[in-house]
Amino acid sequence: MKLACVIHRFGADIAGGSESHCRVIAEHLAANHDVTIITTCAKDHVTWKNHYPGGESQIGRLRVLRFPVARPRDLHRFMDISDLVFADRASPAEQEQWFRENGPDAPELLDHLRRHGADYDRLLFWSYRYYHSYFGVPLVAQRAVLVPTAEADPLIRVDALDQLFALPAGYVYLTPEEAELVKGRVPSRTPSAIIGCGLDPVARPPDVSRLADLGIEDPFVLYLGRIDPNKGCDFLMRNFLRYAGLGRRIQLVMAGPSSMEVPNHASIRALGFVDDGVREALLARARVLVMPSPFESLSMVLLEAWNHGVPVLVNARCRVTRGQTERADGGLYFRNVAEFEAALDYLLDHDDTRRRLGAQGLAYVDREYRWPTVMAKLEALLNQVGSR
Amino acid sequence: MTTIGTRALMDDIERDVRNRLRRHILKRGGAAEYEDEALFERVRAVLGRAVDERNADALLLPELLDSDVEWELQTHLRLTTHRPVLGRVILLVKRRLLLPMTRWLFEYSQENFRRQQRINAVLFACIEDLAIENARLRRESKR
Repeated sequence: MKLACVIHRFGADIAGGSESHCRVIAEHLAANHDVTIITTCAKDHVTWKNHYPGGESQIGRLRVLRFPVARPRDLHRFMDISDLVFADRASPAEQEQWFRENGPDAPELLDHLRRHGADYDRLLFWSYRYYHSYFGVPLVAQRAVLVPTAEADPLIRVDALDQLFALPAGYVYLTPEEAELVKGRVPSRTPSAIIGCGLDPVARPPDVSRLADLGIEDPFVLYLGRIDPNKGCDFLMRNFLRYAGLGRRIQLVMAGPSSMEVPNHASIRALGFVDDGVREALLARARVLVMPSPFESLSMVLLEAWNHGVPVLVNARCRVTRGQTERADGGLYFRNVAEFEAALDYLLDHDDTRRRLGAQGLAYVDREYRWPTVMAKLEALLNQVGSR
Repeated sequence: MTTIGTRALMDDIERDVRNRLRRHILKRGGAAEYEDEALFERVRAVLGRAVDERNADALLLPELLDSDVEWELQTHLRLTTHRPVLGRVILLVKRRLLLPMTRWLFEYSQENFRRQQRINAVLFACIEDLAIENARLRRESKR
């Protein structure tokens, strides 16, 4: 099949969840199909400033078409219209304007879909919340498969989405909780699959000596991903400092690009963006992986942690991560500071239980998230969409 | 080997946290009714449901208050004018000069308004849950 994967930004050095998901799925699809990535020149998810050169390039087996962003995101205007839309006080026109302001505003990308959409057998769109999906799916609806990456945030309740969600020819969900969130607005006969994301088994023990080079010592708790208030990082840092202040010798290691201030304190170590080797070494040695985000459509880092036999501690207010953790029996969760401290105490004080929770997480990944299992579900859906 | 259930572990941890919270509140002179562990748990469950499970955007009380939302915190700054000709100039000055200069103050206030709005929503949710509980008990007592 000739497939297109349409995504707001694309690159191996981009840390976002949906972007990584798109990249690894596209790479696996390319083993059996002709895959083109249709994306923008943006790298920065806040400003959408053009970074990559426009035009056609080749990354491995993937043909990449990049289109320029016409204007960077005006944050003030975006915040103002977000207040209106999320408070349910916006007109239909203002709701549509929200998707323009959210961007990345790439009219040439839409022109390409308009002119060449029919050249592709299926077009997979990642993330409903961005310009390329909101304005792009209607242009190629009969061939479009939407990967909504929906979260239980205020945007999902916006009326303007009723029209969008009625259009795609198929849906790919990441978790049962995400499917639950979207399915009520999708025509009942629309084919769909819950695929999550695939992982390869850990091939060999990582080189943990690199951690000593970075000055990281046992024991430590790990946070992996963007350091951002929207990911619950302000809660995590504030309360981890409080926890460490109670006298326990433990460090929080945070690996990922930061868009907020990280306290300068011996108990918190921020490494910034790390390469795969360091990431693997961190996962091999972490006592617990913490994921405080209140909104997720699938937490890839939970799967990565379990792949290394590391248990997790997640925010109970996020249905998705709590659901993943309960299905895997792979860790604990918290609703508030007292539960955060108690659950962390429990995991750090009970070595045997901690290891068993990690092992149960690994068994869950083996059952549900190995590549052959994930790709079989996706291939079946792509065939089903075509046979309608 | 038998599975260690996340839910079972969390039940123990949550029970322990609740007991500590109850003792802490009593020690600080909280409601004497909380000596009764079961009663404390019932109160906590009702309030906890309001905080964790109610959708703050779909509550009954705000709908009953007023349809023109005059009671609601207005976190969105909308610059408008009633002057047909001079208005455009005034708006331009406000947008391009005054707003950027006072943006820090606007954003500081806006963040605090957002927090207040969140508290209001939680309180509305608590009242609604208590009203539901009350209605249910009345219906049961009449049977």
